[in-house]
Amino acid sequence: MDPRVTADLRYSVEVERPGMLHAAFVRSEVPHARVTVVEPPDLPDDVVLLTPEDVADLGLYGCQVKDQRVLADTARHVGDVVAAVAAPTRAAARAAAKSIEVAYKDLPAVTDPLAAVAPGAPLLHAQAAASAKDAVSIDVRPIPGTNVCHRFRIRHGDVAAGFADAEVVVEEVYRTAGAAHAPMEPHAALAEWEDGKLTVWSGTQTPFNTRADLAGAFGIDPERIRIIAPPMGGSFGAKTFVRLEALVAALARKAGRPVKAVLDRAEEFVTLNRHPAIVRVRLGAKRDGTLVAKEVDCWVDTGAYADCGPGVATKMGYAGVGPYRIPHVRVDSLAIYTNLPPNGAYRGYGAMQSVWASERTMDLLARELDMSPLELRRRNLLRDGDVFATGEVMHDVHFDDCLQAAADAVDYEADPRGKGLCVLLKGMQTPSRAAISVERTPVGFVVRSASCEMGQDVRQSIKLMGAELLGCEPGQIEIPDPDTDTSPFDTRTTSSRSTYMMGRALREAVADLERDGERGFGEVRNEGGLDPDTGQGIASTHWHQGAAAARVTVDEDTGRLTVEHVHAAVYAGRVVNRAGAELQNEGSMLMGLGTTLFEAVEFADGQVTNANLSDYNVPAFGDLPRLTHELIEREGAEVHGLGETALPPIPPAIGNALATLGAHVTELPITAERVLEALER
Amino acid sequence: MQPEWMAPTSLEEALSLRAERGDEATVLAGGTFLGILMNQGFLSPSAFLSLGAVPELRTMEVVDGELRLGAMVTHRRVEREASDWPVLARAFGLVASPRVRNVATVGGVLADADYASDPPAMLAALEARAVLRSPRGDREVSVGELILGYYETCIEPDELLVEVRVPAQPEKATYRKFRSRSAEDRPCAAVAAVNDGDKLRVVVGAVAERPQDFPDLCAGEAAEIGARYAERIEPLSDSRGSAKYRRRVIAAEVRRAVEEVAWTPA
Repeated sequence: MDPRVTADLRYSVEVERPGMLHAAFVRSEVPHARVTVVEPPDLPDDVVLLTPEDVADLGLYGCQVKDQRVLADTARHVGDVVAAVAAPTRAAARAAAKSIEVAYKDLPAVTDPLAAVAPGAPLLHAQAAASAKDAVSIDVRPIPGTNVCHRFRIRHGDVAAGFADAEVVVEEVYRTAGAAHAPMEPHAALAEWEDGKLTVWSGTQTPFNTRADLAGAFGIDPERIRIIAPPMGGSFGAKTFVRLEALVAALARKAGRPVKAVLDRAEEFVTLNRHPAIVRVRLGAKRDGTLVAKEVDCWVDTGAYADCGPGVATKMGYAGVGPYRIPHVRVDSLAIYTNLPPNGAYRGYGAMQSVWASERTMDLLARELDMSPLELRRRNLLRDGDVFATGEVMHDVHFDDCLQAAADAVDYEADPRGKGLCVLLKGMQTPSRAAISVERTPVGFVVRSASCEMGQDVRQSIKLMGAELLGCEPGQIEIPDPDTDTSPFDTRTTSSRSTYMMGRALREAVADLERDGERGFGEVRNEGGLDPDTGQGIASTHWHQGAAAARVTVDEDTGRLTVEHVHAAVYAGRVVNRAGAELQNEGSMLMGLGTTLFEAVEFADGQVTNANLSDYNVPAFGDLPRLTHELIEREGAEVHGLGETALPPIPPAIGNALATLGAHVTELPITAERVLEALER
Repeated sequence: MQPEWMAPTSLEEALSLRAERGDEATVLAGGTFLGILMNQGFLSPSAFLSLGAVPELRTMEVVDGELRLGAMVTHRRVEREASDWPVLARAFGLVASPRVRNVATVGGVLADADYASDPPAMLAALEARAVLRSPRGDREVSVGELILGYYETCIEPDELLVEVRVPAQPEKATYRKFRSRSAEDRPCAAVAAVNDGDKLRVVVGAVAERPQDFPDLCAGEAAEIGARYAERIEPLSDSRGSAKYRRRVIAAEVRRAVEEVAWTPA
């Protein structure tokens, strides 16, 4: 029986250590201010208070830009942690945190990304220094003296000439709201120091990145830090990079005892959300529908700290080109600081925001050309051997098949009214590396891998692949929790890379085991990366490919949109764990539906106004349309990642379907109110 | 500091604690509303008066054709058991999710006076009355008298809302819940309409501080009634819709509700 069903799985939130204290956080009530923490005279003796002075010896951290202090002496968003306490019980810690006084000296704040890049905007960070620890391999290009922590460009062909050559040009600006990941299990971490060695149990997708970043902040050798990653009750990108780990480590250092932190739901909303974005697309074509030029501009609101905003801006930039042959392309994508809670990885990693813009624009163009949106896409889709805007030659691409499957599922060609399509290309983390080890035991094998379990059942996929390679039953393979002391290095569990990368590493490890007899080690690397100034290089060694189709109806009196049917077709190459793969499609589609219809983190003066699951809606069973999907396989094909692919195409498919009924909505979520306004424009 | 916890096991005991402690102790029924407020840090009561163990408040009976709902009767029970009041069962059955309906109570939803709840508008349209009890005696108030504004009622500090009395439901009655977001969301606008043959009653919920009830507008064609309600009501703006948008929804949904109860203008 699945231990998740029998309640035998021990989640991150359940980890305990003898003598541990519980943490609570004192959070800024203002969006931007210098803060002074005042210790109350009546603080109980068994409460440990951590103030910014206590962490003055610690370095900055941040996975792509080192811009974050363990405790903020300058608060940069409402909810920024300015002090922390540890106490014997969670309730005592929370009561103590409430008693801490904070004095604020307000600074001007900016909570809109366009205002943040306007001349004279208040600056959030004096300088944006790239991460020396290189936790994430990305060349960051800050614009000094501005709130831009990274700008990514693609320069491909000659865009001016391309537009001069175009016979039809369309242009539109699109917006997407921030969203909450809303995993059932909140963030949880526990830290313990022993003989100068730090151990952190954390529900994280990134044990090795977290170790590297903590080593930099605490000024100690990474080998003296051990990260153990128990299974997470959902993450969706929320539990990537350093979140609570530095705080509990600093508290434990001062307390001399283990310290554990578990966030409550409201705190989740000020810890990490999805990047709100503004994307402008200009697209030019010949009368026959041949695309000739495209411009994409992205303003990506990364909030108070960069986190992985530079990577998201990069991915948003190239995903906005779409899976098309376009000879002349310009992309400028900016990751921008604002005084809002930090935004980071979210299932789809920036692709959704620009696919929404790009694929809605394809339908605008089709309308201008009086051509079927399906035919327009077909005419321009990338095929094997074509050159993408990054200069890389495409291989193993099946966009045609995905698009056709989606169109057929809603009988698009028979009658396109009320129906919409979307096709997308999404990259995998490149460069990256994955390693895995296999050891023979008297009853089977132990496989060690840092691929983290967050509900995707990665362990089952590794067991199934292992059983095939080792000639044993999946049940004979044991996979311990990721542990940086014993698991071989893996870049991280993100970007739908684990089954593909670990699967290949496992093949090497099993071959090594056959040579050795007792143990084997395997490692694979995918090389590449893009030049941030030109966008040329290798965006991805392996493309995630998918399409979606939707059928909708609308109540013209109220604007209420009803999604009748939504279908996703995802290229899988070869399916390893069918049940798991199907659940990835369904989960992605459900999250896509929430993003399309109602998910939005709302703010007033920098404060989240819907930080609970009553005011912030996620899809409920009653919201489900007819939801179908398929995994496209090919004989002898390579395994393809598919953990996120079915999310980004959902909003454009629905938006395009709605547009056929007369409502051209450019902003996500597509609320009933926006539909009504659009119907009457 | 742990809040004080009082859990009387009889109505008599509950009433005496209420009279003694007044507003200093927060009355707790199902806790679905208080829970949100407390989790958000908007409320941290120093004392609770829990009604969960008071058996008299859990009765549900029909007396002389009138449905009497104890204050602690859950939404789920009304949904499942109020078979002769199908429109009331429907309104309670549309609240949030089964998890919420299993604990949220009839007394709680009225005493919270949350503008975005479903049941108050339906109870108002059915001319239900709430029984408020104190050592000074009982008084019966209509929903319109009970709910004064945002989260504000006429319940005195020594009174408890103990029962809700609902007259027999006319056959022609409807409850239309318009959600602008999830199926489990609160209404953006809700319309309760009852046609008892002689008169039409239309109450609009979730659009302003209290249920909107205008008997003087309930004449004429459905579309006219809808337009007049949309004009008369001063809607609020929240994340479920702006005031301007709500006016549009009110006009459409009132018209539809009136059509559903087959109102024929005299």
